[in-house]
Amino acid sequence: MELSITGTNAITYPVMHVWDWRVAIYLFLGGLSGGLMTMSAINYLRPGRKGPMQSVCCWQIPVMAPILLSIGLFFLWLDLERKLHGYLFYMTFKPLSPMSWGAWIVLVIYPLMILYALAALPDEVKARIKNGFVKNVADAVAPHLSKLAKLNVVFGVLLSIYTGILLSTFVARPLWNSAILPLLFLASGMSTGAAVMIIIAKNKEVKLFFTKLDIWLIFFELLVLALMFYGHYTADAAHRAAIMPFFNSSHDTFPYFLSIITIGILLPLAIVLKFLEVTGKHTEEVSGFGLFLMNTSAIFVLIGGAIIRFALVYAGQLSGYGYNMM
Amino acid sequence: MPRYAMVIDQSRCIGCMACVVACKRENDVPPENYRTRVLEIVQGTYPTLTTEMRSELCNHCDNAPCVSICPTGASHHEEDGTVQIDRKKCVGCKACITSCPYNVRYINEEHGYADKCSFCQHRLREGKKPACVATCVGGSRIFGDLDDPESEVSKILRRVGHRVLKKEVGTGPNIYYINQYPKRA
Repeated sequence: MELSITGTNAITYPVMHVWDWRVAIYLFLGGLSGGLMTMSAINYLRPGRKGPMQSVCCWQIPVMAPILLSIGLFFLWLDLERKLHGYLFYMTFKPLSPMSWGAWIVLVIYPLMILYALAALPDEVKARIKNGFVKNVADAVAPHLSKLAKLNVVFGVLLSIYTGILLSTFVARPLWNSAILPLLFLASGMSTGAAVMIIIAKNKEVKLFFTKLDIWLIFFELLVLALMFYGHYTADAAHRAAIMPFFNSSHDTFPYFLSIITIGILLPLAIVLKFLEVTGKHTEEVSGFGLFLMNTSAIFVLIGGAIIRFALVYAGQLSGYGYNMM
Repeated sequence: MPRYAMVIDQSRCIGCMACVVACKRENDVPPENYRTRVLEIVQGTYPTLTTEMRSELCNHCDNAPCVSICPTGASHHEEDGTVQIDRKKCVGCKACITSCPYNVRYINEEHGYADKCSFCQHRLREGKKPACVATCVGGSRIFGDLDDPESEVSKILRRVGHRVLKKEVGTGPNIYYINQYPKRA
């Protein structure tokens, strides 16, 4: 049946579009900081690690995690229409609202992140801290680095997965309304976390470890992405319609089409580059070409992760039931 | 307590948009926003076409996603079953707008809070009907109490086949649509 809608005014065809790039940036940075928490903690806890705990490279990563989360939350705050009313998130707790959960979870995650970052500071960095209180806290928590790292593995996963849970609970938006979306965001968050580890780490052994780990994470991310599309394709008409912008190169949906093409090129290419690096011959130091391969593939992963968030935030708002199915 | 619902008789709608204008006037709705709208939907293949006039507004759902998603409790159910917004509690996060399958919420740009049809709550308190119902020249919009078996909406829904929009989403809407109801007094 042919269906057309005509109207005498614009309101007869409502288009909802309320969440924009600010929310996408928040979701990306939230996932990334969760990934950084988990990946840096794995770096401390992994069995093959060499040397004393605090001397292992990458103390910058635990410091970066709360900063990136704060930047993400700043963008989320920018998206609020009543910025001065933000405190109202903390005046109540709504057990059925994932947004309410998110607001409260942040209060648990920040102390964990900060204590972990302080505990992980090497002595030479700690010596440069002028604030006595911060220094004392850093000294006090240093012996508990292992416990804090374990907690950061768990809460990093929770933070990364939360960004997907938030969207997946919207029954009105079929593209998001899938239990596999949180897994996609988790995989993407962990993979981008590993990518930043690779870029920041100075130690070759750490770089290689996360390069190997990221190969598996990207494979998992691509698998989950493919499963999400397949799941939507085999679901009801609204879910099927929701993924169509990604497979339609017409003018209106071209950005979505382009996004899936870009992800389809960047992430497999990142796997190939990583594979070339980990299977190559290694000297004591990372060669210039090796460094190029690692950093390039890590940047591909970061761009891919950002594209996934942007494409899904925008395309999800186009999806719906009934006449406003895409 | 009453349990308010609206029945929309599509066969009586002439698409005059008086309901849209009355709603905007009654509720001071900003020029760029609407709490109700009338869709003119043409379906079929030429020359066998049908036209549907469909009034849409907040469905005051029993299982309202906007209420469950709201992180501050601004969107809430009143005892009369209607979904209302406590403007003081709204932070303008727009989650309710995104969560509504019917796309009937908007942000009041001047004040920043989310807004939508309230079934003209202030008029109900005075014993009046919502502005769109009071002004509907074709008698297309019928409003009443579902808990009162003698109310017009209860009688109609008992006697006439009806539907709700996007039933598959499972929100339990309280706006009912009927067609061909010529014998109403």
